[in-house]
Amino acid sequence: MELIIDRLSKTYPNGVRALADVSLRIPTGMFGLLGPNGAGKSTLMRTIATLQEPDTGSVRLNGLDVLKQKDEVRRILGYLPQEFGVYPKVSAEALLDHFAVLKGIQNAKERKETVKALLHRTNLHGVRKQKLGSFSGGMKQRFGIAQALLGNPKLIIVDEPTAGLDPGERRRFHNLLSEIGENIVVILSTHIVDDVSDLCAQMAIISNGRVLLTGEPLQAIQDLRGKIWKKTILKAELDEYHRTFTVISTRLVSGKTEVHVFSEGQPASGFEPVDSSLEDVYFTTLKQHGARAV
Amino acid sequence: MFKEIYTFEFRYQLRQPLFAICFVLFFLLTFGAVTSDAVIIGDPVGNLNRNASLIIMQFMLIMSMIGVFVATAFVSNSVYRDFEYNTDSLFFTTPITRFDFLGGRFLGSLTLAFLVFLGVASAIMIGSFMPWLEAERIGPFMFGPYLFSMFVLVLPNIFLTGAIFFSIATLTRSMLYTYAGVVAFFVCYGVAASALGDLQNEFLLSLLDPFGLVTFGLMTKYWTIVEKNTAIIPLQGALLYNRLIWVGLGAAVLLFTYSRFRFTAAATSVKRAARKGFDELATAERPAAGLAQLVASQAFSRLASLRQYLYQTRIEFLGIVKGIPFLILLFLGVLNLSASSGVLERLYGTHVYPLTHLMIEHIQGSYLLFVLIIMTFYGGELVWRERSLKLSEVTDAMPVPSVAVWASKLTALILSMVVVLLAGMLTTIGFQVYKGFHQFELGLYFKGLFLDIGIPFLLIAILAFFLQVVANNKYLGFLLMVLYFLSLFVLPALHLEHRLYRYATVPESPYSDMNGYGHFVAPMLWFNLYWTFFAAALLVVVHVFWVRGTQTSLKERLCAARTRWGRAPKLAAACALVAFACTGAYIFYNTNILNTYRTSAEDEERSAEFEKKYKRYEPVAQPRVTGVRADVDIYPVERRVEIRGTYELVNKTAAPIRDVHVVLSPDVRIARLGIQGSREKMQDADLGYHIFELAPALQPARSCRLDFDLSVGSPGFVSGQSNTNVVHNGTFFNSFDYFPHLGYTRHAELQDPNKRKKYGLPAVQRMAKVDDVAARGNNYISNEADWITFETTVSTSPDQIAIAPGYLQREWVENGRRYFHYKMDSPILDFFSYLSAEYEVKRDRWNDVAIEVYYHQPHAYNVDRMIDSVKKSLDYFTANFSPYQHRQVRIVEFPRYARFAQSFPNTIPYSESIGFITDLRDPEAIDYVFYVTAHEVAHQWWAHQVIGGNVQGATLMSESLAQYAALMVMEKEYGADRMRKFLKYELDRYLKGRGRELIEELPLYLVENQPYIHYNKGSLTMYALRDYAGEQALNGALAGYVRAAAFQQPPYTNSIEFLSFIRPVVPDRLAAIVRDMFETMTLFDNRAAEVAVHRRGDGTYRVALTVSARKFRADGKGKETEIPINDWVDIAVLGEKEVGDRKEEFPLYIEKKLITQPSSTFEIIVDQPPAKAGIDPYNKLIDRNGDDNVKEAHGAG
Repeated sequence: MELIIDRLSKTYPNGVRALADVSLRIPTGMFGLLGPNGAGKSTLMRTIATLQEPDTGSVRLNGLDVLKQKDEVRRILGYLPQEFGVYPKVSAEALLDHFAVLKGIQNAKERKETVKALLHRTNLHGVRKQKLGSFSGGMKQRFGIAQALLGNPKLIIVDEPTAGLDPGERRRFHNLLSEIGENIVVILSTHIVDDVSDLCAQMAIISNGRVLLTGEPLQAIQDLRGKIWKKTILKAELDEYHRTFTVISTRLVSGKTEVHVFSEGQPASGFEPVDSSLEDVYFTTLKQHGARAV
Repeated sequence: MFKEIYTFEFRYQLRQPLFAICFVLFFLLTFGAVTSDAVIIGDPVGNLNRNASLIIMQFMLIMSMIGVFVATAFVSNSVYRDFEYNTDSLFFTTPITRFDFLGGRFLGSLTLAFLVFLGVASAIMIGSFMPWLEAERIGPFMFGPYLFSMFVLVLPNIFLTGAIFFSIATLTRSMLYTYAGVVAFFVCYGVAASALGDLQNEFLLSLLDPFGLVTFGLMTKYWTIVEKNTAIIPLQGALLYNRLIWVGLGAAVLLFTYSRFRFTAAATSVKRAARKGFDELATAERPAAGLAQLVASQAFSRLASLRQYLYQTRIEFLGIVKGIPFLILLFLGVLNLSASSGVLERLYGTHVYPLTHLMIEHIQGSYLLFVLIIMTFYGGELVWRERSLKLSEVTDAMPVPSVAVWASKLTALILSMVVVLLAGMLTTIGFQVYKGFHQFELGLYFKGLFLDIGIPFLLIAILAFFLQVVANNKYLGFLLMVLYFLSLFVLPALHLEHRLYRYATVPESPYSDMNGYGHFVAPMLWFNLYWTFFAAALLVVVHVFWVRGTQTSLKERLCAARTRWGRAPKLAAACALVAFACTGAYIFYNTNILNTYRTSAEDEERSAEFEKKYKRYEPVAQPRVTGVRADVDIYPVERRVEIRGTYELVNKTAAPIRDVHVVLSPDVRIARLGIQGSREKMQDADLGYHIFELAPALQPARSCRLDFDLSVGSPGFVSGQSNTNVVHNGTFFNSFDYFPHLGYTRHAELQDPNKRKKYGLPAVQRMAKVDDVAARGNNYISNEADWITFETTVSTSPDQIAIAPGYLQREWVENGRRYFHYKMDSPILDFFSYLSAEYEVKRDRWNDVAIEVYYHQPHAYNVDRMIDSVKKSLDYFTANFSPYQHRQVRIVEFPRYARFAQSFPNTIPYSESIGFITDLRDPEAIDYVFYVTAHEVAHQWWAHQVIGGNVQGATLMSESLAQYAALMVMEKEYGADRMRKFLKYELDRYLKGRGRELIEELPLYLVENQPYIHYNKGSLTMYALRDYAGEQALNGALAGYVRAAAFQQPPYTNSIEFLSFIRPVVPDRLAAIVRDMFETMTLFDNRAAEVAVHRRGDGTYRVALTVSARKFRADGKGKETEIPINDWVDIAVLGEKEVGDRKEEFPLYIEKKLITQPSSTFEIIVDQPPAKAGIDPYNKLIDRNGDDNVKEAHGAG
């Protein structure tokens, strides 16, 4: 099982270049797609999810031409869009059952069990009779996850799945995803770096429609070891530091500004080495490609 | 803060589709009512200007009642929204005051509800500019009535109802209770209106009516036409009080709500359930099956897709029918249907039996707008549902074939239409049950609703769906639909009439109990099939362009369409288009090759051409027809007639006649047409004009024969109006339709002055003057004959009976056909008819006259009434006028394609819709079956014995005298009290008819075939004349007139001669009435001003009565001039007595008094308690407001 994206490009009618020559090989297992808002993640996800036509390029999944054989792809696809609504006047159970039919689960008994299990797994069983219109954001998100897992998807695409979830819900979601078999392709798009470092064996960083980096998160962190330095500075000095050093990120620690700087050796006195994290990888990558980080 | 909330509310709701929908709905409804007579709001427009101020105010007022639903939707949404979307806590925690919140929301939404009525206003403004309206009925633009209506009529009404239902929504926080409240409000209103309807105190009632409808009626009922066209009700008296009372009540309701409303979050059961969910979440994760165990088999087959389609259909369908908007529309539709059922097919206030086909037509008529709205609105909703819910990305990525998705939505749309139709059917069945009518024809309901009505609706649903998909913008889709609806009106107006290019239009297929759907079935099926194939092609486009995913640009959509444009869609499109083309070709073959297709403009052009070419022959002297012999073969199944016959022609002039002009309908195919020893000098088969030159010329008093062999077929079917003369069961045609005629005939001439101008024709030639002796050479029925001998043999299919004037000589079967030989034994007018159908026959006798009623078997309801009426008519007419010239009276039913009864010699064809299905079970109902029958029998005297010359006033001696004769028979049967009820309708029709006059109203003795004059004014005048002259004397005069004029040779009698018989029997002191009644248009305005009663010591009563009386002369345009009154008028005091369970008035005192002053006072002593008193209580004089002639008697009782 392997998803091969080859030279995918897409420009919107308003001139926004969402995808520029994107090529990726996505093996089985969890694949993280990291990038700032507006990087083209959703466009890529929608394209893989058969919902959008690229201008050029191809997407192949184990011999299936995703762009042409849409019906075949949809049969093995589980998709959770970044933003979605529900029929407000239908109960969670009824709509999930309805989706199960749409997913091709024909046997009523199997369908009932699948729906029941998924409602349990997403902790919605207690509210299954409730109208979806009254669901909170987190409940709705969990419902979305449940529908994405319906059937036996071989390709799961989840677009910003943890947005709007509280830490507990997010952890449960991670557990849920980690249970998904190893031999299917799961693409997780996110702008939360920890989602990727927690879950993904493979990742890509994408910005302005371009793939900036692909590989294993651990390897990328390894590559950066000893090259990230930090220093606590005054807020007024920030501009000066930006001019002098390759500042990849700034953050507030206990109310004081801390800068992370990329440098082969110690950039200046007062800088301490940092145990590099995936976040540093992310910001470094963006910085190196001149993209603006969030 | 108030301003901010107000503005936000206003803007928010402005952008909601509800506003646009309501606006468009109100616009269209009003537009339809202004620009056509098909859509009616409130009382019919009648004789007023289309944009008369009364019309503006009336439309606005009625719409403001419907507007209760609109106002409720807006104001309740303004508060309920927060509870529905759980945004209440956001607002309730802000530092706004309750006043700002409630006030801002209420007024913001009310403003919008108010603006919806600009739709009504603009529809009247724009509608009155539409080119197809008669220019005479468009008054100058006035701003005042709009302003008045908006602020005095509409605003208080929606404020009151808005306040009530805003309060319910606010306090109950439930949409259901709010709408239940609306229903309860209307139910209470209806109950109160009918309970208080008996109250004589209109003033009180007009204060109590929250909508001010009664008030409006009270304040405008004395208005003259001019006032109705231009005046505005003064804001005073009852109207002012009414408005103040109800606005005050609305404000009080709001104040109450304000005092009770608190900013507290709703605590509904739903919320509790939600909390439970959160609680569960907080507990430890429960062990559950791992995802790997969730193995459910997926199957993707056609069967699976079918199941997906069914599931999706179910969810879409429930989504529609459980929604509030659908329920409201359905409720309104059903309400409208049941409310208007009560006035269905009413004639003189009497109803017909609620036959199923009438119910179906009623559903079609009153439902059309609702179905169109539902199809248009839900077409958009369904196509956009997932996208507007942002669910489309989820569902579009599901492994469902697109065809299952769009087909399920379309199916749901169609199913919701089925629900609407079924609701209509249940409503009308309920109405039938309510009327105690139990012959439910469920099969006919099915055919009518789902084939005749349903298929075009289905095609419209597909179009709405298609436009939404192609336009890919909901509002653009709506707009395109509105354009389509407009095209239905506009294209025919532009003479683009063929249904081959008017989507989803099917030739009308009227149902008749006698003939079923008859020959209309074939064109209905073919056109339905044709447009269904086209719709199938549209569906292929829908399929190919169905948006799946996030395509937005045209390029993307085209690209996606290209990949979907595969073998199956190509094949489907090819099949649909080929089938479309083939059915189209077949239809074209039928409508344009087998038949001649002409637009109405082309028909007009031919009329004009005929007149231009042949009018010059009008003065050429022609021989007269003196005898007709014809063999007529009717083939009902093929709808074909063959006519072979001979006219006996005599030169009655003093000079030889060389050229004989023969005119024939161009529809008639000629096998032979000729006069022995003549040659056809000129032949114009296209327009049907032939000239035969006789050699030698026909000498005076010599005769010759016109022989003809003709046939009329109805091959295939047509796009427009089809021939309903010759049908499968119920053939009825007369001599004007297919028989040859001598000389130029005027009856095809264009009458509309504008059209005549357009074709370069001179102004329409009016009827010859009353004293034109030359014109009196013809009677007004025929310009080619005087009295003729008549003999005919008519054949038809063996299951039918064929009827023509004359006595049956022999009946036989030959070659599988049934033959009837009829012969008339006395001369008759040159006017005869043929009928053929499967008949039941009821026979009876009156002295030596045979009475026969030929009727459609299920229509036996009133046959005995008809026979009774014939007998009583013969009694009265033979006793008072002259003997009956025939030995037989036959009443023959024909299908409802025409709605009249018509008297031919010894034969009265009688439409199934004008008496056979009349519901006479209510003994109080006016028995118009009895009346119509008597009227037609009376024509055997007044037309078939005495016939006027072809000059002004001719129909006075046929129609008005037949009315008089029928009234006399009716009065003997039902009494004078019932006559007054009947004559009120006659007065109403006369007054309305005057206002619709296009050319000029004429005095009765100069009537130019104007129905409102010779029927309705004729009735009133002759009935009053009977009162003034006395029945005996008047009938004596009429008998004398019959003796003088019956069966006369030219010159035929005229109204001057008629009046010369009348004058001697009118008492000298009343001599002026002949001038008032016959020779001028004279109107009175009589009114009882004051009635005071004093009980005297001896137990008698003294009534002091003040009456006002004014007299007017009107000119032909209806302009009135007051003239001094000097007339003998009834002054009366009426008592009341119980008759059965109702009260009946009877005169305690009635006397003719000479009135010479505008105001007169009388003192009358009566010995029983008086109930009412007044002037001309029985409306013998023509008075525009007859209801105020008497007044309740009050005083010391």
